Amino acid sequence: MFKRQRNLQGWLFVSPWLVGFFVFTLYPILASLYYSFCDYRVLTPPKWVGLANYAALLTDRDYFLPSLWNTLFMLIELPLALVIGLTMALLLNHKIPGIGIFRTIYYLPSIMPVVAVAVLWLWVLNPQYGLLNAVLTPLLAPFGLQPPGWLADPKWSKPAFIMMDLWAVGGSVVIYLASLQNVPAHLYEAAEIDGAGSWHKTIHVTLPMISPVIFYNLIMGVIWTFQYFTQTFIMTQGGPQNSTLFYALYLFYNAFRDFRMGRACAMAWILFILTLIATLIVFRTSARWVYYEGERN
Amino acid sequence: MPSIMRINRLLLAISIGIAMLVLPACHRRQQEPGVVHLRAWTMWGGDEAEAFQVVVDEFNRTHPHIQVHNLAAVEDTKIIRAIVANDPPEIFTLRDPGYLGSLAGNGALLCLDDFFKQSGLRESDYAPGSLSQCRYNGKLYAMIYLMDCFALLWNKDAFREAGLNPDRPPKTLSELLEYARKLTKRDANGRIVRIGMMPPDPLIIISAFGGQFIDPKTGMPTADHPRNIEALEWYRKLIEVQGGAEEVNAFQAGFGQEMGINNPFLVGKVAMMINGQWNPYWFQRYGPKVRYGAAPIPYPDQYPEMRNFTWLGGNIFCIPVNCKHPKEAWEFLRWTQTVKAQVLFASTMHGVPNILAARKERSLREGEPWKRAFAVFMDVASSPNARHFPPTPITGLYQYEIYSAVDFVRYGTKTPAQALRDVQKRVYREMLFWRR
Repeated sequence: MFKRQRNLQGWLFVSPWLVGFFVFTLYPILASLYYSFCDYRVLTPPKWVGLANYAALLTDRDYFLPSLWNTLFMLIELPLALVIGLTMALLLNHKIPGIGIFRTIYYLPSIMPVVAVAVLWLWVLNPQYGLLNAVLTPLLAPFGLQPPGWLADPKWSKPAFIMMDLWAVGGSVVIYLASLQNVPAHLYEAAEIDGAGSWHKTIHVTLPMISPVIFYNLIMGVIWTFQYFTQTFIMTQGGPQNSTLFYALYLFYNAFRDFRMGRACAMAWILFILTLIATLIVFRTSARWVYYEGERN
Repeated sequence: MPSIMRINRLLLAISIGIAMLVLPACHRRQQEPGVVHLRAWTMWGGDEAEAFQVVVDEFNRTHPHIQVHNLAAVEDTKIIRAIVANDPPEIFTLRDPGYLGSLAGNGALLCLDDFFKQSGLRESDYAPGSLSQCRYNGKLYAMIYLMDCFALLWNKDAFREAGLNPDRPPKTLSELLEYARKLTKRDANGRIVRIGMMPPDPLIIISAFGGQFIDPKTGMPTADHPRNIEALEWYRKLIEVQGGAEEVNAFQAGFGQEMGINNPFLVGKVAMMINGQWNPYWFQRYGPKVRYGAAPIPYPDQYPEMRNFTWLGGNIFCIPVNCKHPKEAWEFLRWTQTVKAQVLFASTMHGVPNILAARKERSLREGEPWKRAFAVFMDVASSPNARHFPPTPITGLYQYEIYSAVDFVRYGTKTPAQALRDVQKRVYREMLFWRR
């Protein structure tokens, strides 16, 4: 009797979370799976159409496949963010006076709201009056070159987005920094005794020791890239020539511009499967390069 | 065990709290007998919301039995979610009138034909192109409260500088190309510092050529209509004579907000543009020293019958099909169609009245200097050549397709015929899908 009551109380205590999970997470997920097999135009009841949505998407060479390609292109950003983030973390790990100020400065961009950053960069990237081209024009002029049009140019729009995101790499820098400080000093001392210079110490001590964090950042980066939306929604709406029509943006257009909620749900599930595959690939390879200290014992 | 009892009571309170979260929110509104409260969700924000509030206050003052409560700056998608959730407001606007077709086609809107018939309003009271924006499949699903219309605006000082007669705007579209070339100014590096003609909305140019989006007989798309192709050929030339897509894009990317002192026309970056009737007032407010003129949009040389063409938009008001107070909601919409309400809103919102009688109102034409230019817009809005995008169930997609086709044409990646044929293929398929 007493135990049952205690059980009940336990359930009641977790009920806010349970209600939230079932009503606002699990149900929408399952509903979207069902709708992905339906012709669902939001305002009228869904009609079962089997795999028609998936078939229509996977044969859509004008929008779906380009949007997928655009999104995959953005994966280039991951190794770049890794190298730049790690380099910055290593630099910020030095014990010099005022390092706290530097850390704050480099972290600052990543806590700005994405929308504000997007509007700011619209001006930085402005081909004619932007800060970036103001710097590039005199540098390129001796070679008879003109700086690119960035967001106005279909060839440069994606690199422009990558550059903008790298500016806000500070978020991962903080994570790297924390793990750098966890690398035990005796390993460096041992390496020094063995005659290792700072390059060898970085390659053979630092990198293996922080590889779990690199792994974590990589996984998060993959997931984040597949969901790339806000920047392009604010800055380019998919243009020019659909060069920044990313997967999530096209999904949004399907759902809220064209009332093709069924197809949008199908896109969401394809996205889920793609993210899953990409994450699994990273996980599979991780055995080769991620080092966990406790593992071999 | 008193402590457990107390915890139980606490738990009860928590679960009631959760239950209240889950239950649909109840309307809290004090019930005065005989007074009907209507929620109006409208698109306007800022100054424009205040202008609409003036109208609402006037209605509420003269109709004590109906009280309209305006919610400003509402996005269309929020309205759609409210409709799906079965709790829409009694009255709402559509920021993008393109939604009218999909909402009406899905049975979400109340058909207003019966109300309209009983109201004493007549078809002939209305300006051309006003009720047709509210009709879908021949049925009336909305009321328009003021319209937008487009004309050519030109900067007289730029004309003088380029050696053109400042009082003679281009009459035909080939003349416009010539003017655009002459008026485009570059710096020492060859970069544009003033564009002769701001690239207009391609939908407007297509219509200026007498092009067609939908076959009025079958209701099916006609994106690759020969006139549409001609229109985009002209559009391509316009970009070309001003330096090509990349140059023009780069220049346009530097434009400031139109609603403010950085308006590209007012700062001299644009010599000519096709733009709406709200501009004369903005010019007065944000750049009173700029000398400009307003004239009808030039026509294609080969189609002089398209003279006095204009492009229309409008403020579209709808009532949802499951509205609890349709009669009162209609009463508000009916009131917006009176000359008094039209003039009241037109004088603060600077839209063109959709009721013809209100267009004659002197206070809209005389007084401050900007009203002379505004009158040009009002006159051209009455032209039989006034056009608008036809309400279709796939308007959002259709327009996006045309804009991306134009993008390809601008960069020369596709010819106009190619680009429009691709649009036609996709839009046609989409329309069939919709009708299934």
